[in-house]
Amino acid sequence: MILRSILLKNFRIHQNTQVEFSDGINYIVGGNGQGKTSILEAVYYLCTTKGYNSVADGEVVSFNETFFEVSGTFRDLTENNLRIYYTLEDNRKYFFVDGKQIYRASSIIGKYPVVILTPEDHSITQGSPGDRRKFVDSVISQSSETYLQILLDYNRTLRQRSSLLAQIKESRDRSLLDQLDAWSQKLVQCGSELIKHRIRFVSEFNGYVNDSYNLIMSSAEQPSITYEYLEGNSLEGNGQETGKIEEQFTLLLEKKRDDELRRAVNLVGPHRDEFIFRINNMELKKYGSQGQNKTFQISLRFAQFFYLKDSLSKSPVFLMDDVFGELDTYRAQKISGYLQNLGQAFVTMTDFSNYSYLSRNQDDYLIKVHEGQAAYG
Amino acid sequence: MQIAEPLQIAIDELSKLPTVGRKTAQRLAMHLLKSNTKDVENLVRAIGDLKTKLRFCRICFNLSVDEVCEVCKNPKRDHSTICVVEDINDVMAIEKTNEYNGLYHILGGVLSPLSGTGVESLKIKELMQRLENEKIKEVILALNPDTEGETTSLYIAKLIKPMEIKVSRIARGIPVGGDLEFTDEATIGRAVLGRIII
Ligand SMILES: [Zn+2]
Repeated sequence: MILRSILLKNFRIHQNTQVEFSDGINYIVGGNGQGKTSILEAVYYLCTTKGYNSVADGEVVSFNETFFEVSGTFRDLTENNLRIYYTLEDNRKYFFVDGKQIYRASSIIGKYPVVILTPEDHSITQGSPGDRRKFVDSVISQSSETYLQILLDYNRTLRQRSSLLAQIKESRDRSLLDQLDAWSQKLVQCGSELIKHRIRFVSEFNGYVNDSYNLIMSSAEQPSITYEYLEGNSLEGNGQETGKIEEQFTLLLEKKRDDELRRAVNLVGPHRDEFIFRINNMELKKYGSQGQNKTFQISLRFAQFFYLKDSLSKSPVFLMDDVFGELDTYRAQKISGYLQNLGQAFVTMTDFSNYSYLSRNQDDYLIKVHEGQAAYG
Repeated sequence: MQIAEPLQIAIDELSKLPTVGRKTAQRLAMHLLKSNTKDVENLVRAIGDLKTKLRFCRICFNLSVDEVCEVCKNPKRDHSTICVVEDINDVMAIEKTNEYNGLYHILGGVLSPLSGTGVESLKIKELMQRLENEKIKEVILALNPDTEGETTSLYIAKLIKPMEIKVSRIARGIPVGGDLEFTDEATIGRAVLGRIII
């Protein structure tokens, strides 16, 4: 899938910016606050109907304007124009595909897969277990609509169940316990499905991470992801039995029941799973160097790209925001060479002249952004 | 701007209706104003009758003119099967398919601790009484396949389990998170026929 061109109107600093893109790498270069990242953000909007870092739509509208608009033309088997229009007055977004209004955002979401690598990715390897679950959930959700549905169902069940636990704690009404059983049964049903999906995912994804990591580092370092679920089960690689998960889940719930009732908290389930990242069996979060963390984060995004490409049979749009500045020359060179394998990519950088070592092909574009205006360099 | 008071009141009242905005309310009020008196009187009576002539069926809690509704009264319907639904909209959706010939039981909601709906606020006790007193062979749980609907199905299925009654759940064709009321008739029809035993 190729994004051929994009048009931004009243989108942050861009009043009216039209850019044609290369099928290869698009280096988007400019100083801080000149609008280079906004172009990536606009691409992200087109692919997902939302901004990243969960910004409110209203914040994106240029100062003193009442609406923003982003439209772009994708080429896959056919060419399709996608347009998003947001007005402050209605505080809602309107979607158009080839000029026809689409009433459900869900019929766009997932059709234009996107992978984004940003400096905030440090939280994936260095942040909390929740940050790692969020990463894994986002990748599986992109490849499986079913997973996303089950995840929403599961999260809803968690909220209902903790509300009931609180009611039982407060009222001491034992007759509510049979309702708790029903919510527990529901929790086990959708929670087990999530765990099975995650098991399958981790055993496949490990291979992708390995390939990416070794291409960047070409060293003997061996990265791995271990999945720990339902307290004490762990999986690395494949061949684990998934048939008994419901049974284990139910047993653990029974074991923790008094604890749950006393604390009124959901203590068992995939919302407490852990994904442990390692290099050569050494836990990255505890013992990894900055460089190893950075390389691991980048490998995860490249792995996500190829995993999605294989499972969706469609090349995602690859965005890389301001990452080269954080890398030493060796890694930067490796990564820019690797980008050539992705097909189309969008890369922002603060100043191109410092990056003479980056590989740049004939058909790559250099797009210079200055005060919300784009020019080719 | 000054508008004659009765017109203003009519617009205000109409715009309280779901999906009716100010503009539509105004258009409807103007339309009624131009319509002949007979038509307007009929509309007023029909709306009034909704509140005065309808009540809930003593057996299944469907809407009814009499103490017992048309479905429960009809000897041609299959009195050994009960289809459990969340509300009256679901009865109308299933009736429209012409695929179902049994009885209904309207719960009046689904379990939802977050909105304070527990077993006591639903007609579950009444359902269990029916299962003890009537000769029921099968219960079809046709609650919306969302988080709360499915949990309510699990809850009821567990209650019925010790009795010798077949319990099935509509399963096929309705998208997860889909609302029965807004799913097309053919899909509901197939779903009611293709129910699975739980
Ligand atoms: Zn009735």
